[in-house]
Amino acid sequence: MHSIKHYDHIVVGGGISGLSLSLLLGMTGNKVLLLEKGKNIGGALFRFRRNGIPFDTGFHFTGGFYKNGILNDMLTVLGIHDRIHPLVFSGPGASRFVFESEQEAFDIPVGIDNLIPVLKKRFPREHAAIDRYFDLIRRVCANTTAMNLRKTMMLADTMDEDFVSLQEVLDQLTGNELLKGFCCGYCMCYGVKPSEISFANHARVAVGLYETLARVKDGGDAFIQAFQERFKAYDIEIRCNTSIEHCIEIRDQQVRTFLLSDGEEVAAKFCIFTIHPQEVLKILPREHFSKAFRDRVDAFEPSLGFFSAHGVVEDCKPDDDFGPSIVSLYPLPNLNTLLSPEYDGPQALVMLRNKESADGKVYNVVTAFEPSFREHVAPWRDSSVGKRPKGYRDYKERRMNLIHQRFTEYYPEYKNSFKIIDAASMLTFRDYLHSPEGCAYGIKQKIGQFNLFGKLPLSNIYVAGQSAVMPGIVGAMISSFIVTRSLVGKEKYGQFIEERLAH
Amino acid sequence: MAEQDIVNLVNGVFMESFEIPGEKLVPEAKIFTDLGLDSLDIVDLVVALQKKFGVTMRDDERVRAIRTLEDIYNFIQILKQENRK
Repeated sequence: MHSIKHYDHIVVGGGISGLSLSLLLGMTGNKVLLLEKGKNIGGALFRFRRNGIPFDTGFHFTGGFYKNGILNDMLTVLGIHDRIHPLVFSGPGASRFVFESEQEAFDIPVGIDNLIPVLKKRFPREHAAIDRYFDLIRRVCANTTAMNLRKTMMLADTMDEDFVSLQEVLDQLTGNELLKGFCCGYCMCYGVKPSEISFANHARVAVGLYETLARVKDGGDAFIQAFQERFKAYDIEIRCNTSIEHCIEIRDQQVRTFLLSDGEEVAAKFCIFTIHPQEVLKILPREHFSKAFRDRVDAFEPSLGFFSAHGVVEDCKPDDDFGPSIVSLYPLPNLNTLLSPEYDGPQALVMLRNKESADGKVYNVVTAFEPSFREHVAPWRDSSVGKRPKGYRDYKERRMNLIHQRFTEYYPEYKNSFKIIDAASMLTFRDYLHSPEGCAYGIKQKIGQFNLFGKLPLSNIYVAGQSAVMPGIVGAMISSFIVTRSLVGKEKYGQFIEERLAH
Repeated sequence: MAEQDIVNLVNGVFMESFEIPGEKLVPEAKIFTDLGLDSLDIVDLVVALQKKFGVTMRDDERVRAIRTLEDIYNFIQILKQENRK
């Protein structure tokens, strides 16, 4: 009989959720195997280089970098806080929403307390609605215990705001379409329409963005390097280009051994999937789940994706002002229209400028992206990297040219110096990041939906990731903390968090 | 919605989605002990019932108080009435 390798935990998926989970489990004394299907760990955090210049793939900015903020606390617990340097979008014009049809621009200051007076000045008749909106946001977050590591972390009971959409709340607060448009601006950061997202989930994502919107120095690479460093101190093995092929031995509703795609059979006490829920069901034996369970998972819809263009502004001096800044152009204030696959007008466009240093040189880097839907790339969905047909290349060219045009209309001073170097469609994201359909935020987290999270009917299999609790980097990390609590036990976990936060 | 329709539709969910034979589906059947569901199945049950009846259910104390099939029939009846208001 051949001997097989035993682990305490197998973590599937090397994105931010899988990295956080592996480190948390390693730090609490477990032997961990981290599997990543792609060439590198990091998932959407990974940056690619063209002409020596690093460009962001899927992680551009985040919220949550404030004192006792959830992201700050999680990074402290993980021991990588000092490796992650936020570059806050602050100062004149650093963070702006532009509503093109209304010819209105909003400069967004850092922090809700600074934002409220700005909005009240612009909407003098809407003071009550503005106060109420931010009160509600704060109340939801204060009542969401999962957003506070300092409290015992539990999945709280759902609250009323989980069962009402962002749109319904705004419709009750005001009839002012422009103000509603402003309040929906960050829908792009979770990829669901205002009429489909619950107010509660909107609040949980938006609060961090309102409080501090920040890039990170060296982007997602900073996270990947920090995790890699930390992993060395613990019993964490990483295998890239590897996934679980199937479950070999299942006894008493527990999977005992797994066959990996590299041909090796391994055993583990627990296995935690941080990948897309529908990908999880492709690996696990379907006959172990009720039809009701399978129907629930099959019914999840994809969140939106992006078409992104990456470029540089040439001939700029190193000390020229070049951000970081973020400007979002909304052709209409109605985000429900803008985030519909059938909408065929000009898309919303997010334009990021930042300085990037690499190999002793400084570059003025531009990342610009528009919402995209699987319908946009449906004609070429069966094609793969390097084998795309001409129609697809024309599509890409068209969108790149349009982005170039809109960027230089907004920044006429870069008319001759802005060059797009590369672009990525949803198919690019799909094929490089192994993200089903190329969606940016996993499943679409709709109101009243029950996500796949925690323990599955196979009782040593768990699910975490950005589709589990809430979308984005913060939501993905929170899911890993909560699953760690289940796996290591609440007492040990509570003590661990307390000790780490006291650091 | 007539009471019998609710009974039939709820039983249909148990037969189709959980592969439980029809003869076990008597009103006094206990969901966990007699029908063999476990706590992890409850979310799937809620999702399937929501879809079948076009209602919204919350994972709240009313759902957690459910013990028997009859409790489900009654709960759906109440939800349907609430929805009509």
